[in-house]
Amino acid sequence: MSDRVLSSHEAVAAPRQGTSAPWIWASASFLLVIGLTVATWWLNKTVPSWNKQLRVIEFPVYAVALGLLANGLLSLLGIRDRLVAYFRTEFFLKTGLVLLGASINLAEIVAFGAKGLVQAVILISSVFLFTWYVARWLGVEEKLRALLSASVAICGVSAAISAAGAVLAKKEQLAYVTGLVILFALPLMFFQPALAVWLNLSPEVAGAWIGGNIDTTAAVVGAGSIHSQQALKVASIAKLSQNALIGVVAFLLALYWVVVVERNPGQRPSAWQIWERFPKFVLGFILASIVVTLGLANGWIVKATVRDLQRLREWFFIAAFLSIGYGLSVSGLRDAGWRPIAVYSLATVFNTVVALAAAWAIFG
Amino acid sequence: MALEEKGTRGISRLFTEDWLAVVAGLGLVALGLAGILKHIP
Repeated sequence: MSDRVLSSHEAVAAPRQGTSAPWIWASASFLLVIGLTVATWWLNKTVPSWNKQLRVIEFPVYAVALGLLANGLLSLLGIRDRLVAYFRTEFFLKTGLVLLGASINLAEIVAFGAKGLVQAVILISSVFLFTWYVARWLGVEEKLRALLSASVAICGVSAAISAAGAVLAKKEQLAYVTGLVILFALPLMFFQPALAVWLNLSPEVAGAWIGGNIDTTAAVVGAGSIHSQQALKVASIAKLSQNALIGVVAFLLALYWVVVVERNPGQRPSAWQIWERFPKFVLGFILASIVVTLGLANGWIVKATVRDLQRLREWFFIAAFLSIGYGLSVSGLRDAGWRPIAVYSLATVFNTVVALAAAWAIFG
Repeated sequence: MALEEKGTRGISRLFTEDWLAVVAGLGLVALGLAGILKHIP
């Protein structure tokens, strides 16, 4: 299994490895993926019922942990490599990303009004560029830089996954950034509503601040509900406005990668080369988003259908993170070093300050 | 490059997981919109 999550060229070679294994190993691999996916889904559903504060720990944590556990146990038994056939990170992630497009209702940007769109555009562009340049200054590798920037600027895990697809990141990089997102969301979930009360912010400003700053949707809901019902409502809509722009960011990032980062020095890529290297899931994502937006606007899709697709997306993402855990190299994680943590910390402080200023100026 | 080789590369490129994921994802969206994927846990 290659260390790259999302390379279309490795993907051509991968099925041949799978089919060369005896059918019994392939069947066992399929059953193992299904079993571990169901186990992760159960943990993700059950653990928060033991303690509500644990709901900030999202499925990637359980999935990577179970994937790693299976990786270790089966390695000890000497059968890990024989069972690798159906741990298909690239396929699961990209299918999940197309399904993610189906949960992005572009009309929600309009529903929140110009205020929400202005806040989302200001925060995404300023936080993305700040994180990008701080990471470059600290010498963080450019793909990891893109994942860090997208996850802090937009919406954590989903944005990190979309950016990983757009720049063909390594699976260790995605696991690392997802871990950081969840780690940072936990203290913010408690700290930010308390600070909003201490600063005597109105529920609207507090909600816009929480939604504009905290990266994971679960932590946004947690922080909003700690403050007030009105703050929760505004925070959720502010978050949706930012989420709705994932497709735009993924598209621009993929284009930038193909046209600027990966081009041969002194050579201008042809339209065909751009098309060939461009990650096609972005098109599926945008198409799914447009269909669902039009369907909801015209009443031929109900919200329950969108929720069904959201749940299906989660199953694909669980399988993807399990596959990441199954193929994770600890040395790959170690290679990333301490710098991404420093970048994420600085970016979170910057995001907190800019989101407060934007929320106060726009909603105050 | 031999025509046969070119053709094989073209076909394998067509079936990359990139495209497979787009087809699977949009197919599932279509099934969902048709109401076939109800009550997913």
